[in-house]
Amino acid sequence: MGRVAGKKLLSIMALVAMVGLLLLPIAVSLPSLAIGADAPDAVKQEGEQKYEKGRDVYYKTEGLAIGAPAPKTVDGPKDYPRYNFESRVLLWFANQQHLYYGSFVLAVPIFCMVIEFMGVVTKDKAMAKRYDQLAYDFIKISLTAYSLTAILGGILIFTFLTLYPAFFGYLSSIFRPVMHIYALMFVAESGTLYIYYYGWDKMRDGFLKWIHLSMSVILNVIGTLLMFLANSWIGFMMSPAGVDEQGRFLGNIWHVIHTALWNPLNVHRILGNMAFGGGVVAAYAAYKFLASKTDEDRAHYDWMGYIAMALGVAFLIPLPFAGYWLMREVYAYRQQMGITLMGGLLAWLFIIQATMIGILFLSTNYYLWQALGRMRGAEKYQRYIKYLVFILCCGYLVFITPHTIVMTPAELKAMGGQQHPVLGNYGVMSAKNGGINVIITTTILSFVWYMRGNKVSTVSWSKFGNIFMGVFFACAYVNIIWLAIYGYYIPANVRVGLSVPQVATTLSCLFFMFPLNSAMMKGAKQMGAIEWGKISVRSQYALIMLATAFTWMMGLMGYIRSSVRLFWHVNEIMRDNSPWAYTHTVGFAANMISFNVLFFWVSILFVFWLGSLGMKKAPVPAKAGVPGGAPQPAAGH
Amino acid sequence: MKAIMSLGALIGVAGLLLLSGMIVGIVPSDTVRLIEGYMPVQVIAELILFVAGFTGISYMMSAMGMTFPRFWQGISCWAFVLLYLKFRVYPPIPFSVRAMYGTVSLVAVFMWVSANEEDWQKFKQPIMNVLDAKTGGNRLLRYAYLIILPILIGGFSYNAMVPKSEEPIELRTVHPAPPASTKVHGKTYTLQTSQNPYRVNPEGKYDQEYSNANIVEQGMGRLMKPNANPWDKDAQGYLKYVREGGEIFYQNCHFCHGDNLNGRGLHAFAFNPIPANFTDPGTIAQLQETFIFWRVSKGGIGLPNEGFPWASVMPPWEQHLTVDEIWKVVMFEYWHTGYYPRTWD
Repeated sequence: MGRVAGKKLLSIMALVAMVGLLLLPIAVSLPSLAIGADAPDAVKQEGEQKYEKGRDVYYKTEGLAIGAPAPKTVDGPKDYPRYNFESRVLLWFANQQHLYYGSFVLAVPIFCMVIEFMGVVTKDKAMAKRYDQLAYDFIKISLTAYSLTAILGGILIFTFLTLYPAFFGYLSSIFRPVMHIYALMFVAESGTLYIYYYGWDKMRDGFLKWIHLSMSVILNVIGTLLMFLANSWIGFMMSPAGVDEQGRFLGNIWHVIHTALWNPLNVHRILGNMAFGGGVVAAYAAYKFLASKTDEDRAHYDWMGYIAMALGVAFLIPLPFAGYWLMREVYAYRQQMGITLMGGLLAWLFIIQATMIGILFLSTNYYLWQALGRMRGAEKYQRYIKYLVFILCCGYLVFITPHTIVMTPAELKAMGGQQHPVLGNYGVMSAKNGGINVIITTTILSFVWYMRGNKVSTVSWSKFGNIFMGVFFACAYVNIIWLAIYGYYIPANVRVGLSVPQVATTLSCLFFMFPLNSAMMKGAKQMGAIEWGKISVRSQYALIMLATAFTWMMGLMGYIRSSVRLFWHVNEIMRDNSPWAYTHTVGFAANMISFNVLFFWVSILFVFWLGSLGMKKAPVPAKAGVPGGAPQPAAGH
Repeated sequence: MKAIMSLGALIGVAGLLLLSGMIVGIVPSDTVRLIEGYMPVQVIAELILFVAGFTGISYMMSAMGMTFPRFWQGISCWAFVLLYLKFRVYPPIPFSVRAMYGTVSLVAVFMWVSANEEDWQKFKQPIMNVLDAKTGGNRLLRYAYLIILPILIGGFSYNAMVPKSEEPIELRTVHPAPPASTKVHGKTYTLQTSQNPYRVNPEGKYDQEYSNANIVEQGMGRLMKPNANPWDKDAQGYLKYVREGGEIFYQNCHFCHGDNLNGRGLHAFAFNPIPANFTDPGTIAQLQETFIFWRVSKGGIGLPNEGFPWASVMPPWEQHLTVDEIWKVVMFEYWHTGYYPRTWD
């Protein structure tokens, strides 16, 4: 008894220590934040004598220009020292690899939190154990990746210091008040992660398990704050605030952090990281599935891949909407930036992005259709898959139609102008919004089919429920397509607003149809068990494709976001005067992204291998999937 | 059910016959016209009809005991999409887009034929048969493939690598990002906030809703709204300015941009690309009025760096027109096409 109480005390102390670690950076930063708008009067008066006044380029407020102006760099060894290689490409590589690993190690703890929580609340003891083991395996992988992230972060800083000293010096002078907070957050993150990982076995049951789960929440809060801080740097580079026209810091660090694009970037990155993390873990499971020698292993990794895919896709579905918000804010911040991105110089990269998004959804749907094959009784849905393929294909073709078409001058002449009377209509936002919403709604429909694959509803209102669901989806498609067409007949500002009912239609399918389906399937008659491991190998390649597409798209979007600044280090504040202040060709960028993706996958395979050296095998129930004791792969299923 | 499927089959057969006729040139390509303005929806509707037709044909053939093998279903479906894009849609779709569509269709066909294990087995059976070569015919086919495939691949490779005298592919930036502000006749205009001074209501105040209510109806024929005729001698305010803009347009712009503003003017085909088609939803309908003001004022020579390959011969109209005339002509373009300029509120 005394021992248990001691453990509890120790756990609570650990939790308190974590909260303390979380608060430490804030406490440390308090004196440095005092400079600025909220500084004591004495300090202000002294400052007014010493410094000129400046006007914030974004917030339009006045403040004391306490920082140095942005350096006017010149091409030479002082501002741009270099190896005998393009410095920008080196930085690109270091940055991208750090971002991949950073995203992974931020996403996996969120996964662990969700999976551990599912384990805690699941009543089935065997399932609870499996969830717990899965979460533990994930965090173990993440631990190795964590040290690699830190190493890559170091390499990135050295690359900045060595190749772009003037720019990095300026950026760190602006962010000086929070630079050390960032570093201390890393300490807090590491400390929390280690306590969370090493305390796993000691806090396995009862109240201690809840304490352990709480630790994962704190770990994720720290991780998210870390990411927000890092986002503030890129937000500042794209849409600077808190400085005057010369780039002088005006003393309000909150303005510097809270730039026009900070919040949309934060939301987009959280969702993106989660979807990416899901993809990577799903690919890991797929690889292990393909390499498995026993049915038991295949069942385990099939299940693992499904969970990772479901979590990843759960965050993928809202991702286009977050991206839409980000682009809207970009347009609102600077019209030129928006046009450069979506209608001008970088427009073709967005077509590639649309292609990748389509691949993600196509892969997900394909996986789900394959997964129907491991359920007895799901045959009734399989015969209709061809119609879903057609709908998906139409939505996808519209979604990827370019506005700026690549063509020879002869083709241009034959077409009779830059705009094609058919393709031109598909190449604009109204049609594309319709396209992506059709794709997402179809994905939701595939999920609904999967969730009811081997079941027959026994509720008295099942016939009405089925008709209602059918009509709901049909109306959703009609509404989305009608709004896409209607968008051509109304002013652009109203058209932009039409995306709201389109998205609402798609989301209402998600939020109404899933619960309705779950209600209908409560106590449903099972036509057969889910036979984990009896899924086609094609499905696993779909998971690998999903992960590769995620990785490639992350690289692409990072490149687009960065290159939209064109020849600016900090948009309209600090000019890039290096010889590489030009936009790469689409071909070069694509090759570079592919190289980054390849490097990441080779290195993460190494991480997986390291993780597998000491991996404990998950105890799988001998008859997983039998009716009554069937493993429930995801919430609501 | 059978009746519906029979109807589907009938539609499918009729559609296939029409398309085949168009491909071989027996049936004129405009037998079933793609109507301008409705083309995009028409194309999708036609594809839906074809899918319904294929389903019907497949069902009827099964009912008659002549099941069409899944392998050939997949191949035919893909071939149909390629032929439809090449021969049905006009003006011709550039190869880059057809390649994209063709690849997506191929992926879609693969997803369909491999969606479940039974279908996948059926689909790959003929391929496996040839590879296994258990019969004389299959053995012959295997040898034929052994010879033909390398020749084909070699031919494609040679064709791809052989130097050609064709003009290179250009990735034209149609709407380059505008500057934050532009200086015309000594005055600086901020593009994000400037407004057309002639887009006014009867009280003389800037009013986009009022002007939107008086533009030409979109659709076939593009009809003027009743009581909103700029050529009415009593027309005042906004409508009068539209008329003045129209006069400037027909004195200066219509030679290239056409009297219907569709980019097909008298001199249009002397240029490549031909002038912008304002009736297309991808041109002025996508842009702020100030963007057009900037482009008209500065012309092709004023295109920014990213406006590659700067293929525009439009003169910088600030050298020929006053600021007021430019604003009026821009307003006329929106009035005539029935589009609304983009706004941010």
